[in-house]
Amino acid sequence: MIFEKRTERIIVPIFFMVALFVPLFLDANSFFVGKVSTIIIMSIFVMSLDFLVGRVGLITLGHALFYGLGGYLFVILSPEYEVVNFWVYTFYICIISALIALVIGVVVLRTTGIYFIMITLAISQMAFYYFFDSLKYGGDDGLFIYMTPETSIFGLSFLNLDDPQHFYYLALFSLFNTLVFFKVVLRSRFGRIVEATKQNPDRTEALGYNIFAFRLTCYVIGSTLGAYAGFLFALQYSFVNPTFLSWELSGTALVMSILGGLGTIYGAILGTFTYEGLQYFFEHLTKEWLLFMGTAIIMMVILLRKGIAGYLEKLLEK
Amino acid sequence: MTTELFIVQVLNGIQYGLLLFLIASGLTLVLGVMGILNLAHGSMYMVGAYLMWYFVTVTGSFTVSAALSVTIVLSLGILIERVLIQRFYNRNHLDQVLLTIGMIFVFNSLQSILFGNDPYGVSVPDALDGGIPLTNNSTYPVYRIFVAVICVGIAGLLYFVIGRTRLGMMIRAGESNREMVEALGVNIKSLYTIVFAFGVMLAAIAGIIASPVSSIVPGMGESVLITCFVVVVIGGMGSIKGAFIAALLVGLISTFFSILMPSMANMIIYIFMILVLLIKPQGLFAK
Amino acid sequence: MSKCATYFAALALGFFLSLSSSIAFASSVIKIGVMQPLTGVYAGPGQSGLNGLLLALKEYETNAHQNEIDLIILDTEAKPARAPELATSLLEQNKVDFVVGPAHSGVAMGMINVLREKDTVMIIPNAGAAAATGPLCSPNIFRTSFSSWQPSYPMGKVALQKGYRDVYLISWNYGMGRESLEAFEESFKAGGGNVVKKVLLPFPSTNFQPHISDIAAQDPDAVFVFFAGGGATKFVKDYDASGLRGNIPLLGSGFLTEGTLEAQGEAAEGVITTLHYAEQLEVQKNLEFREAFHNEYGHYPDIYAVQGYDAGQAIIITLNELKGDVSDKRAVIDVMEKLTIDSPRGAFTFSRAHNPVQNIYLREVIDGANVVTGIAAEALEDPARGCKL
Repeated sequence: MIFEKRTERIIVPIFFMVALFVPLFLDANSFFVGKVSTIIIMSIFVMSLDFLVGRVGLITLGHALFYGLGGYLFVILSPEYEVVNFWVYTFYICIISALIALVIGVVVLRTTGIYFIMITLAISQMAFYYFFDSLKYGGDDGLFIYMTPETSIFGLSFLNLDDPQHFYYLALFSLFNTLVFFKVVLRSRFGRIVEATKQNPDRTEALGYNIFAFRLTCYVIGSTLGAYAGFLFALQYSFVNPTFLSWELSGTALVMSILGGLGTIYGAILGTFTYEGLQYFFEHLTKEWLLFMGTAIIMMVILLRKGIAGYLEKLLEK
Repeated sequence: MTTELFIVQVLNGIQYGLLLFLIASGLTLVLGVMGILNLAHGSMYMVGAYLMWYFVTVTGSFTVSAALSVTIVLSLGILIERVLIQRFYNRNHLDQVLLTIGMIFVFNSLQSILFGNDPYGVSVPDALDGGIPLTNNSTYPVYRIFVAVICVGIAGLLYFVIGRTRLGMMIRAGESNREMVEALGVNIKSLYTIVFAFGVMLAAIAGIIASPVSSIVPGMGESVLITCFVVVVIGGMGSIKGAFIAALLVGLISTFFSILMPSMANMIIYIFMILVLLIKPQGLFAK
Repeated sequence: MSKCATYFAALALGFFLSLSSSIAFASSVIKIGVMQPLTGVYAGPGQSGLNGLLLALKEYETNAHQNEIDLIILDTEAKPARAPELATSLLEQNKVDFVVGPAHSGVAMGMINVLREKDTVMIIPNAGAAAATGPLCSPNIFRTSFSSWQPSYPMGKVALQKGYRDVYLISWNYGMGRESLEAFEESFKAGGGNVVKKVLLPFPSTNFQPHISDIAAQDPDAVFVFFAGGGATKFVKDYDASGLRGNIPLLGSGFLTEGTLEAQGEAAEGVITTLHYAEQLEVQKNLEFREAFHNEYGHYPDIYAVQGYDAGQAIIITLNELKGDVSDKRAVIDVMEKLTIDSPRGAFTFSRAHNPVQNIYLREVIDGANVVTGIAAEALEDPARGCKL
């Protein structure tokens, strides 16, 4: 069983069972289906960040670079007035993002601690300004995606990305796969070495493992999945904008993953849904929602030492 | 570029760098001495500027307003340290990030509720209003020279306090070995409260003295925050001397790039930081 | 006989009453979605635009055709990434008849992507992005503010008339900044003017001092800028502090001195700008509007409030003409296209691309107010390049 903790074995099935039926309950309200899709996509992004920060120990404040990159790469790669295949372009975007992550990783992984935080931030800020200042890619206004990709495999098409429900299931399916993927990776021999590099880098190195190579591999994996999430988000609203790469987004994602319970992977889902849910609630309650949101974050960080997942584990684990 | 213009631009760069130093010095102190990553540091710059605007509008006096603002921010710093920050000395940087992002939200919201969202300005005090003739058509504002003098004064004071006084000795010792200092009977709790409040106050002073030459707007705190982190990291965390030199370098580099290559001006400080970190991964003056 | 007649009259009246009330009932609730930045850097203009809109709707409640109005107000935080989601929620969850927003151009782009070619009418009360009434124009998208081209284009001719041949241009490197400088250049160069230097500063840097030193060194006849909000305040103050005011005239798109005069103080005296409004404008409607706004909110309105107010007016007049029946969206658009809006800035109509055709006023800051010194361009229409309407 890849889900080791009792809490996971309870929370994860409940979440996905409920999520599976959401579009059926909210049939008449396609906005909510879209909104939940957005949160699910954000969860994928936060989960990839949680893997890097919580499991590998790479505290990055530049993860949004890949989120924005996913969307921009699609705009840059696809021909303007042609419908392209979703799976083919997913493949392209993941490969190119992985290559970019590899190059960036080689540079940033030379530093650690706060210096790593700052250097990832610096690189994402540079990418932000590159797109912000580039007329070709729409500058600060961003660009529209005019053609929604089709999704046929060997001529068989069963997904229509323009249909909010279909899109919802694509997002949910992606989230499930991401979760299972991370769990499998972390349970594997590779995952245990990664764990060891975080707990005790010196000893791991003494055992003959190349820590740098392990960290780099993880950085590439996490960043690529972050780019995939950004690609999905850009597709959902057919829109890319430089703010998708902003450090505020990296910061928000970090807040969500800490809130959920750092390093728990499934906590990313809890953190993202809680944050987005609170924001939606406060926003519709008062114009001064920021005050409530800030207070709620402060309260939670004081009271929940290991995030929401940590709290649930305290309740459910024996 | 003529020699004349070159000298003026060097002055501009130093001037900008000095103001950056003032904000960054508090940040590096809190980070280096206490190990607290305070993202809400920029908010204190904002609080200083808004309080200044408010008191100038009410009292009309620059000095009285400055004194009032500094006092309020100092008390605010003590309060925040006692109520919130104190719980986070033994928590990791990430929890501190979460806490201080929450604080940014609260401060921004309070700013909007208490002061509104229009841009405000404070006028330069009469005694310092004026310019020194520079070229046939322009002058160098006296107030900017005053700001520079204040910044250099504070830098000197900091250097003296940390390097030469008993308080500075305790701060330096607390930085390297917390338990040892505690064992020697120093009240580390009060020491940390003092350092935090002092760091916060430096940011607020920057906001206060910059208020006549900047516009007081929502979001002004976040706009300086990242640049100041860049300064702190280039200089080496916790190093006042490093922050001073890094701030001047950043000031000069941004000034010259924004004139010569405006398209690169946004990126250049990040490129500079990456280069520094690749050569010296702990910053220029790492301990 | 008389009894009978009374009876019939009453019956007929009752019939009509029930008929009219049933009509009113069928379309009694008009839903208006508002998307404005209410927190963050753009909160000032956002709140102001919202206040203008609310004032227009309030006047409507008291004196015209009765419809219940349901307002849904959403905070965009000026974050483009949130725009499509919020626009979708107004469209699909609230099923609004009108969307009013936003202030920020990037957000406008995200909204337009969702609302284009839809039934819901979108009214932009500020964002000046050329594309909104250019390549992306759509039958259901209207703008009650301006296109970035409009306030700056006439200034090129003004500069030449004043005898400025060599002009230094400076703004931020973002859509509004670039488009404003280009519009100025268009008329300025056509008239034989010479651009000494064109600087696009990184947005939102307010470290202007190096550029002001550069301006002093270049010594042009005049400087033309586009800055707004906090940046405008700081630029004008820095310009003055360096002693350039009085030596080199400062020209700008009107946003340079809108809502910022108090903060700029003395430093703004003599700044010349062009805009589609001025608070001192001698138009009856403007005087009434300013008093009404002041009574309601305790302070006088700015340009953003005027634009929001006109968005509200456009909705109200359309509702009145259609007797509150907005079920036929084509009819709503037809009515709106033909509107003449009695704006505080002077009456305006919509161009084929649905951008206001309006006067651009020449203004000079005298004693802390934007004083109108003439009309820089009469009934100026945006060229709407790329619009196929």
